[in-house]
Amino acid sequence: MRLFQLQRLSAVALVIFLTLHMIVLHYPPFHVDFSRVIDRMAQPIWKAIDIAFLLAVLVHALAGSYAVLTDLQVVSRLRKGLAWTAIVVGLVGFVYGAMTILAFQRPS
Amino acid sequence: MYRSLGFLSFFLRRLTGVALVLYLATHMWVIGSAMQGPEAFDARLAMVQTPFFKLAEIALLAAVWFHAFDGVRLILVNWFRITSFRASLLYAAVVMTGLLTIVGGVPILLFILEG
Repeated sequence: MRLFQLQRLSAVALVIFLTLHMIVLHYPPFHVDFSRVIDRMAQPIWKAIDIAFLLAVLVHALAGSYAVLTDLQVVSRLRKGLAWTAIVVGLVGFVYGAMTILAFQRPS
Repeated sequence: MYRSLGFLSFFLRRLTGVALVLYLATHMWVIGSAMQGPEAFDARLAMVQTPFFKLAEIALLAAVWFHAFDGVRLILVNWFRITSFRASLLYAAVVMTGLLTIVGGVPILLFILEG
């Protein structure tokens, strides 16, 4: 799959995930704290949705950053290194983000 | 006519994209504190729930809407090959960004004023 197709596919997913995220978490605006977040995050379905959201965000952000950076002449010679950097950053970001999502447990 | 508009759209989409990537990194740092427990999470979240950051959220909202609507416009133009509608769809994206930033921004402003 070509990079721009991956970016567009993740963009379509993000429109859905982001709309859901904004509705459940930000509207109407309220003071956010752990006790409010845990009501939703204690449900496994929300953990799964947020992990899928995280994956779409990382793919879109890293593919976009790669496209922006490789448009710069100075960086365009380093495409291969940049691609590997994006993959590593993506994997680290995914593990960190997934661990964060899974850390939302009701205190025992 | 579209050349300059097209460049403006390209420039703004990239500018908002870079801003959103920077926001994403900060957002992950803030939310990542959940791994250290509820107290650490609440403390870090409190740092970004000040009126300054709430106002910045309105700018973030505008960036998200523009990036999303302009991106959807680009997908529609390319997939359905409707290049003759590029300019009018860009105007629609700008109008929708403005409207939804107001719709989302006013409750945030009221929330700040109510303390």
